[in-house]
Formats: sequence, structure tokens, C-alpha cells
Amino acid sequence: MAKKVYASFRLCTGCELCSSACSVMNFGLNNPRRSGITIKRDLFERYEVQHICRHCEEPPCVEACISGAMIKNTENGLVEHDEAKCVGCWSCMMVCPYDAIVQIRLEAEDRIVAFKCDGCPERDTPACVEVCPTEALVYQ
Amino acid sequence: MTKDGDRERELKNSRGILAPELTRMRSNVYQIDLSKGEIKSFDTPLEIVRSYLGGRGLNMYYLYKYLKPKIDPLSPDNVLIFGTGLLTGSGLPNSGRFNISAKSPESSVLGDSNCGGFFGPELRFAGVDRLIITGRAEKPTYVYVEDGNIELREAGRYWGLNTLEVQKSLREDLGRDIQIACIGQAGENLVRFANIINGVKNAAGRGGLGAVMGSKNLKAVVARGNLGVPIAHPEQFVEKVREIRDYLTSSKIVQTLGRVGTPLLYEVSNHLGAIRTNNSQLNAFEDTLDAEVVHQYVEKMLSCYACVVHCRHRNYGGEGPEYTTTVLLGANVGISDTQQMVELNNLCNDLGMDVSSTGTIIAWAIELFQKGYLNRKSAGRELEFGDYEMVRSLMTDISRRTGLGDVLAESTRAVKHFGEETKDFLIAVKGLPQSDPHDCRYLKSFALGIAVASRGADHLRNRPTLDIMDLPPELMKKIYGVPIDNNPTSYRTKEHMVYFHENIYSIIDSLGICKFVCHGFNSPRLLGYKHFSDLIKVATDLDFTRKDFEEIAQRIVDLERMINNREGITRKDDTLPRRYFDEPMKLRLGKGHRIDREKFQEMLSGYYRLRGWDENGSPSPERVRQLESLYG
Repeated sequence: MAKKVYASFRLCTGCELCSSACSVMNFGLNNPRRSGITIKRDLFERYEVQHICRHCEEPPCVEACISGAMIKNTENGLVEHDEAKCVGCWSCMMVCPYDAIVQIRLEAEDRIVAFKCDGCPERDTPACVEVCPTEALVYQ
Repeated sequence: MTKDGDRERELKNSRGILAPELTRMRSNVYQIDLSKGEIKSFDTPLEIVRSYLGGRGLNMYYLYKYLKPKIDPLSPDNVLIFGTGLLTGSGLPNSGRFNISAKSPESSVLGDSNCGGFFGPELRFAGVDRLIITGRAEKPTYVYVEDGNIELREAGRYWGLNTLEVQKSLREDLGRDIQIACIGQAGENLVRFANIINGVKNAAGRGGLGAVMGSKNLKAVVARGNLGVPIAHPEQFVEKVREIRDYLTSSKIVQTLGRVGTPLLYEVSNHLGAIRTNNSQLNAFEDTLDAEVVHQYVEKMLSCYACVVHCRHRNYGGEGPEYTTTVLLGANVGISDTQQMVELNNLCNDLGMDVSSTGTIIAWAIELFQKGYLNRKSAGRELEFGDYEMVRSLMTDISRRTGLGDVLAESTRAVKHFGEETKDFLIAVKGLPQSDPHDCRYLKSFALGIAVASRGADHLRNRPTLDIMDLPPELMKKIYGVPIDNNPTSYRTKEHMVYFHENIYSIIDSLGICKFVCHGFNSPRLLGYKHFSDLIKVATDLDFTRKDFEEIAQRIVDLERMINNREGITRKDDTLPRRYFDEPMKLRLGKGHRIDREKFQEMLSGYYRLRGWDENGSPSPERVRQLESLYG
């Protein structure tokens, strides 16, 4: 079975280094909102939880996508998203059971598209896992 | 970077989807006049960024420019600056900090406070590096910042709420994806040590900057950022974060901080006999406030933004306590019950008051009661060390300015009310109660440090403690550039320590990173100038050498002194609480130790010489002209 990122919310201290690494790697700038992994953190309600794509066996987002932007790559097991094809209907966001898809603005094109973890196919270990200081994210 | 700092960067990211607007390194400033409701913006020229970096440094640059000397700090004339560091929000390790600066209503000299949490980064994600706020709003107001747009909004419905309630209400009204810097009732009621809180407990704590917000009718600053901080070398980012993370987390002190937080210092200080107890009448206390005991009340350790240390505690009903609180709201007011101390910590944060000043001023009042300066009638109650209910009710009274609380809310200025001789029992310098729990009579370098600190009695401006670690002499020489007397009770060579730490801390505060991961705070290792150069290179492509950093640090410290000199600060103000000179410590290792006045003055002169200041503690007229020439 292909390796996946597993997250433990108990070990997460809410630092967002994972989101920042993903953001910088993908966009050349840092904003934890523009990331394939987001930390839902509420200091007042007292929790921090990582939201990241599980690259499901039978992904509801692929099922729901109306434009063919979201596909399941059967070779490497990753759920891939083609931003060029995304029409911004947010069906994927609505059906994702892990709340792992965010909206991002493509400034140059002046449109908003869905964005999610692409599994860092070009890296041995995904960037978020590499920078996590508490082993709250593991890749196995 | 080009000389105007405004060149549009080539897109480096593989997607090529960012508009050039988002990818420029710049340092922008928004000026808000609350009286007129006007907002202007401009960029800080790159030459000035190179001279002061950002954060505390750039705040000082603008404070010197816009703050008129001798103004009433609670008048509309005061200049309140929220400033992010050069690396704040870059996502590089521990880049979550920013500074708030103004003239302090507590000390009437420089007020400057460094704060962690998530607010500083969010301000940068919102496209704002610095807010300079003047005037006074007619009605309760909050500033809303989103993606380079700034609005002044009505805050009537939030007025009167404590720091937790106001943040919860704003999040209900605006959505949860915002960060808030706010004041509680203490700030509204102009308590002179009111703080500014972000989240449950991250505070710009010192100097009463919350009262400055209150005086401006400013309840909160709210930020929501969908933009981002451009990174010059994204291809090196992950590797650099990993490298720094590995280096830091292999350190024992970082590991211990991550496990129990700053209370780790309690036991060692207590062993030394350096715990401020009962308003420094004693110097050691009970072991019920040891880190391991405190930790029984902790649910989880948390990080500030991008932090690899996670030294913050989520306790059963709030966040904290820090070492400072264990002593200032524990030993110093005679509270040995761990849970009671944690309760006081949580209440103090909710009311929006600085724990250091609160614990110092209440302990002072209790001693004044013991000595007959206060009585049951004038205090409205008995004041005794160890009386939890009394301390709790007095804290609330201070925040509401009722009864004795109204007098104590004046902080060190209450000397006018109680009589000049009561100053003898006050643990404060330059009108600022001492921050650190450390009784300075033993460690002479530390004593010089709090005497010269630019915001008053405070350890976070220099905190020279490496001489107590008994490090090899050659290592000490390597760090400080000269041989250091490793005897912590010696007065010799200590000015070199204060000088070095003051310099590096001013750089750390200007970069927006945390002192806990930096060289010299708790450890002779961790991040130093070379690391700073590397991190800045990755984030901004700017080059800085060690010499550059040392020159910048000297500029910042000199400029802070110029601000204080304008307010009337001279050599006579670089001193210590009377008790540290005249009363020897009574317990443990520190027993018999005090500060010798003559030797202290020699240390002070040595420090002035290193700084290039005259015997009265002023930078030379040439130096003043040189720094003023940077204003063009």
C-alpha cells in the first residue's frame, strides 16, 4: 500500500510549521491558509487538529467533481487536483469527510479554485512531515 | 534587491500563479489618526530597513520621529506602534513575534513590549507590517485590518468585556479566522500596567500599553490575512526549517522548556536563594511552585506561531503560568498553594493586567500594611501575605479602579499617595516594577542589566546569566570578546555581558523571533548572528554580516537611550531598588549578599564607556546627529 501522512492531534502543538512549509513550497510565499494541510486551532475552545487529504481509496471528492479536475491516480494512489480545470463549484469541499480542501485565490488569473494536499509526489517525504517538530505527522 | 526595495520579484514558484504585488519584499506602514479618522500609508525605505530591520528596531525609529517629548502618555498625543519583525510570519522557526511600542503610562519613559502568539504573523498575512496609531477616537473603536485594507469600526458592544470575552464575541461576529490584540477592563480603566492580549494569554505585557489603547478608546486591533509573506528562496525553505528545527530540538534546554515551560527556572533560583518572596523581604520560598508540581495543572503544551519549542501551557482553565507568574503571583505575595497561584494567573490575564507589575505592586502594598503606611480603614481590608481571597479581590478592584485598587492602579506613582519614604520598599527601576522573579542581589551582571534596561526594571532587554553556568573561560571569551570573571558575585567585567546581551536581544526583537531559541538567553548555544544571516537570506535575499548586526544593535540601544534622555532620564535613574543595596539577602546561597553602591557605580561607568555614552549616560552630540541624519 502507498505511504500516507498520518496525523495525531494529541501531539500537535498548533505551530503551523507544516502549513507554512506547504504554502512556501507551492506558492513561494507563506500563508498557512494557502496550504494542503491546515490546522484548525481554537485557543478558546481548546483544540488543535490537522486537516489533510487522506487520499481515500474511493474519494468522494472525485465522485463529486463536476469538471474532471479531481482524479484518483491509480498508479501512485494519490488524489490529484488540476487547478486549470477547476471551475470553483466547491462540490469537493462539501463532500470531503476530512475538511481537507481549501479555497485559494489565483491572483494572476483573478479566480478562486480548490486546493488540497498533492502528496508531494516529487519528494521522498512530504514537506509537512519533514518540518513537524513533534512527530504529530508521520509518513508510513 | 534594488536600492528602492520596490523591484517586482521574478516569480519563482513552480505554479507561476502569483501576482507580482504579492511577491515583493517591502516594509509598509499604515498611519491611523483616530481623532480625525484618517488613514495613510507609505513604505519604509530599504535603507532604513537595513539600518533597523523591523520589529523593535523600526518601532524605535518611528517612535523617536513621531513621539513629542514630555507628553502625557494617556493623551491623544501618544504614539502607539504595532510593528512586525523582519522575519515575523515568514514561517521560519519561531518567527511569531512582534513589538508594541509607545511612551509608557507606567514609567513615563520608553514603553516597548514584545509579544508571541499568532497576531503578528496574521498582520503580515494581511499585508501590513506596521501600524502607527495616534489621536483618540470619539467612541469605543476597533481597527479592522484585512488584506491591506483598514477600517475603523464601532466597538461599543465590546466595551466592558474582559480579554477572553471580547475575543470570543469578535470571533462570533466576524468569523473564527481572525487574530485579535485587545484590552480587558484594566486597559479601559487606564490601569497603568494594563497589557494587550492576543489569544488566551499571549501578552504585550510590560509598560501599560493596554492603558494607552484604553486612552485612545481603542478596544482591539483585528487582523485577517489572505495574502502572505513572500519568501525569496522558497526552494531552500523546507531544508532550512528542518536544519534549524533539528539543531534546536537537540538542545537540552529547548527539550526541557518544551516539557514544562519556564517554571523550570523556579527550582534552580530557589536553590540559589533568588526568588523574590514577600516583596523581597525574603529570597526563597516553598517547593510547591516547582515546575513538576505546577505541571500537574497542565493539560497540554502549546506553540506560538512556527515555534519548535512549545513552552506554553494550557492549564485546566486558561493558559500559563510562566515562571514569572509562579513567583510574582505566588512567592512574592506569599501564595504557596499551586492551584491558587494558577487561578490568579488566569484572572490576571482575563482582566488584562501585567502579572509582573500586579504581583510587585500588591506585594508592596502588603508590606506597607505591615509597616503601618496602610491600615484596615485606608486599605478597606486586612492585607496579609498568603491571603488568596484578598489578592484576588484586590486584582479585580485594581482593574475596576475601586477603593485601594484605584490607588494601586497608578503603579509606582502611588508613592505620591503613600509618601516618598514608601519608595524604599518598592522593587522598581525607572518607575517600572521589576519583571523577572530574580532577586538580583547575588548575580551582579543581572543587577546591572535591570538597572540600565531601556524600559525600566526588566530582564528581557539583556538577562546576562551565563556567568552562573561555570562555562570554560575560553568559551566565555569567545562569546563576549574579552575574558569574563566567572564569579557571579564579582563586579568585574560584567558590563561586557550586559552590552553583548543587550545587543543581540535588540536584534532578536527586531527580527520577530523568540529569545528562547537564541544564543545567550538560557544557553551559550542556539541561534546567533550567523543563523540570523542565513534565515534573513532565505526569507528576503538581503545580506547582513555580524558587523552589520552589531551596528544595528548599537543604533537601536542608542536611539532608545535618546528617547529616554528626552524624557529626562540620566545616570541617577540607572539604579536599583534601595533594598538591593542596603539589605543583605537572608537565605540559602545568596545569604549575606547585597549590591555595593560604589562598585555598582564603577560597573555602570564601565557600561557607559562601552556604549560610548558620557558619564551622565547620554550618547554624544555627534552620535545623536548621526542617528537623526537617517530621518533625511
